[in-house]
Amino acid sequence: MATVTIAERNERALAQPRRNVLRAFEESRAYPAALLTPILLFFVLLNVIPTLWLIGFSFYRYSLQSPDIPRPACVSGPCPTLLSIPTGIQVSLTQQLQIIIPAELPIGNYIRIFEDPALWGAFGRTFLFVVLAVVIEVVLGVALGFLFWGSSKMPGRRVALTLLFTPMVITPVASGLFWRLIYEPTFGVLNFLIRTFGGQPIDFLTNNQWAFPAVLFVDIWMWTPFMILMTLAALGSVPKAELEAAEVDRMSWRSKVRYVIWPHGKFILMLGILLRTIDAFKTTDLVFLMTNGGPGNITELVGLQLYRYAFASLNIGFSSALAVVLLIAAIAFTSIYLWVLNARRRVESR
Amino acid sequence: MVDVTVENLTKKFGNFTALKGLNMTFPAGMVTCLLGPSGCGKTTLMRIIAGLETPTTGVVRFGDIVVNNLSTRQRNIGMVFQYPVVYRGLTVRQNIELPLLEDRSLSKAEREERIEEALDVLEMRHAADAEVSELDNGTRQKVACAREVARRPRIILFDEPITNVDINSKLQLKRALKEVFTRLRQTVIYVTHDQTEAMTLADQIALMNEGEITQMSSPRDLYDNPKDAFAGFFLGNPGMNFYEGLEVVAGAVTCPLFPAPFRITGRHAADRVVTLGIRPEHVRVSKTPSPGAVRAHVHRRAIVTGGQYLVTLRVGDLSVRAKVPASEGEAIAVGEEVWLELPPHRVRIFGSEEVTETT
Repeated sequence: MATVTIAERNERALAQPRRNVLRAFEESRAYPAALLTPILLFFVLLNVIPTLWLIGFSFYRYSLQSPDIPRPACVSGPCPTLLSIPTGIQVSLTQQLQIIIPAELPIGNYIRIFEDPALWGAFGRTFLFVVLAVVIEVVLGVALGFLFWGSSKMPGRRVALTLLFTPMVITPVASGLFWRLIYEPTFGVLNFLIRTFGGQPIDFLTNNQWAFPAVLFVDIWMWTPFMILMTLAALGSVPKAELEAAEVDRMSWRSKVRYVIWPHGKFILMLGILLRTIDAFKTTDLVFLMTNGGPGNITELVGLQLYRYAFASLNIGFSSALAVVLLIAAIAFTSIYLWVLNARRRVESR
Repeated sequence: MVDVTVENLTKKFGNFTALKGLNMTFPAGMVTCLLGPSGCGKTTLMRIIAGLETPTTGVVRFGDIVVNNLSTRQRNIGMVFQYPVVYRGLTVRQNIELPLLEDRSLSKAEREERIEEALDVLEMRHAADAEVSELDNGTRQKVACAREVARRPRIILFDEPITNVDINSKLQLKRALKEVFTRLRQTVIYVTHDQTEAMTLADQIALMNEGEITQMSSPRDLYDNPKDAFAGFFLGNPGMNFYEGLEVVAGAVTCPLFPAPFRITGRHAADRVVTLGIRPEHVRVSKTPSPGAVRAHVHRRAIVTGGQYLVTLRVGDLSVRAKVPASEGEAIAVGEEVWLELPPHRVRIFGSEEVTETT
C-alpha cells in the first residue's frame, strides 16, 4: 500500500476540492423541485383530485341509496358519512361506474338545481344571512377595532381584548349548544330576563319571527371579534410616521382614514371581509345545532341543504353539483375582492 | 414666527433618561440644528416640541405660551419626517393642497398662491401633476417639505429628512432646504447626526450628547472653539487630536510635541491636569526644521479626499493625525522623518475630562 504524506494529501485536496454532496444537490435543478414536492403533493392530493372528483360526480345521477348500486351494508349503518367516502371511491374506480346513470344531459344536476324552488329559497336566505352577518360584523368590528386602537392606554385593555376574542375560538358546536340553552324558553337566561322585566317568554328558535335573527345574532357574536382582529391588524400596518404626519398636518378624521389608513390597511381589511363572506356562506354547523333549518325552512341555509343531499339522502351526484355551484360562488367573491383591491391600478393603466 | 423655549426638560423611558433637564431657546426666524450621535436625545427633544411625546418634567413654550397641554394639531407646527411621508393616490399638487383644505379660513386663491410658492421654492413645478407613488424618495421628501412650507406654520421641525434619500438626491434636497430656509425665515429646528448637513444649513448648532446640550453656537464658532473634548471630537473629519492627562507645573505642561513647555492660559490656567487638542488640518508638517517644530516619523498615509492626505505621525508614543495638501502628502513617504509643528494659537485646552474616541 502506497503511503501518502500529509503534504501530498493537501495538494490533492487543493487540486480536486471534495464535492460536497449536499452543496451539489442544492445547486442542481432538482433542488427547487424537491422543495416544492411536499406542498404540491399536499395540494394535488387534498385539493385538486377531490375537486376534479367532485366536478366529475356532478355530471352523474348517482346516489348511494339507488337500488341499482350494490352498497356495502355499513353504509346504511349508524355512521354513513365517513364510510360513504371510500364506498364512493370504490364505486367510481370499478366497473360499477357503468351503473352510475349519467344524467339525461351532462348538466342535468345543474338544471335541477336551478329548477328547485327550495334551493332558490335556501340561496336567497343564505344571501340575506351573508349580507346581514358580514355588514353588521364589519361595521361593529371596524368600530370596536378603532376604539381599541385609540385606547392603547386604557387600563385592562388586554383583558378586554382576550375576553372579546373568546367567542371566536369556541367551536361552533359548543357555541350553538350554549346559545340554545340561553334561548331556551323555560329555563334559558334570556327568557328569565324577559320574564323578570314583565315580558312574555319567547321560544326564539322555533318562532317564525325570531329564529333567523337569533341564529344571525350568534354568528355576529362569534365573528365580530375576527373583524376587530383584522381591523387592529390593518391599523397596525399603517406606518407610525404617516399617522403622526396626519396629526401634524391637522387632517380631519375622514381625510386621515381615506389618505393614510385606507391605502395601507385595505388589503388586510378586505381579506377579513372576504374570509367572513366565504365562511358565512358556508354556515352549516351552527344552524344545524340551533334550529336544524326550522321552523319550517326559515333558517334552512344552502350549506345545510348540501349537507342533507350529501349525507342524509346520500345523493352524491346532485350534492356534488350543488357543491360546485357553491365553489363558483366562493370564486366569485374572491374575484370581487381582487377587483376592488385592484381598482386603483386599473384606473392608472387606462 | 415664534421662538421655542424648553425649561428643565427631562424625559425618561423606564430606567433610561433620554433628556437630562434641558434649558435652551430656539430663536425665532433662525435655523437651529440639533446635532449629536445616535441616541443622544435629539429626536426625543424634537418629538416633545412637536407634542408627539410627553416630557417627564419640564416646560415647552412657544413664545410666551406654555404648550405642554396642547395636542400636536393644536400646536400648529410643521414637521418633515425621516421617512418621506406623502399621501398616496394624490398628485404632488394635491398633496400640498390637502392640509390647506382643512383650513377653512383660506380662500381658493390663497390656497393656489401658497401651492405655487411652495412648488417654486422647492423647484417642483415640473412634477406638480405627477402622482406621488411614481416619484423617488428624494422627490417625495421634497413634496413633504413643500406641504409643510405651504401650510406656513409658526415652527417647522425636520427630523433627519435627508437620511433616507439616495446619494444623488441628497445634495439636491440640501440645496432646496437651504433655499427654503433663506426665503421663508421661519423658526426651524433641524435634527441631524451629520455634521456637514448641520454646518451647511444651520444658523446655529446645538450639540447634544447623552441627553444634554453641551454647546450651542454658530457653526464656525463651534468648530473653531469647541467648549469640551466631545465637541472637538464630534465635529471634523476626523475629529481633533487629543493629548490627555498632562500635568500642569508652574503654569505649563511638558509634552514631547512641543520643543519647550506649553503655557496653559485662560480658564484652565489653575487646573492641575489638562487635555490638549488640535485639529488635523492645523498641524503643520514639513521636511525642514522650523522654530517650534519637533521631529516625527510618518506612520501611515491615507487619502481623505482627492485634494488632501491624512498622515499619521509618531512622536515617541504619541500619535498625531495631520491633514496636508495632496502636493505635500505625495512627497512624504511612510517611515520618513519629518518636522511637526502644533501652532500654539490653534491648540485648544480642555479640562481633565476623559476623551473617548470611537472612530
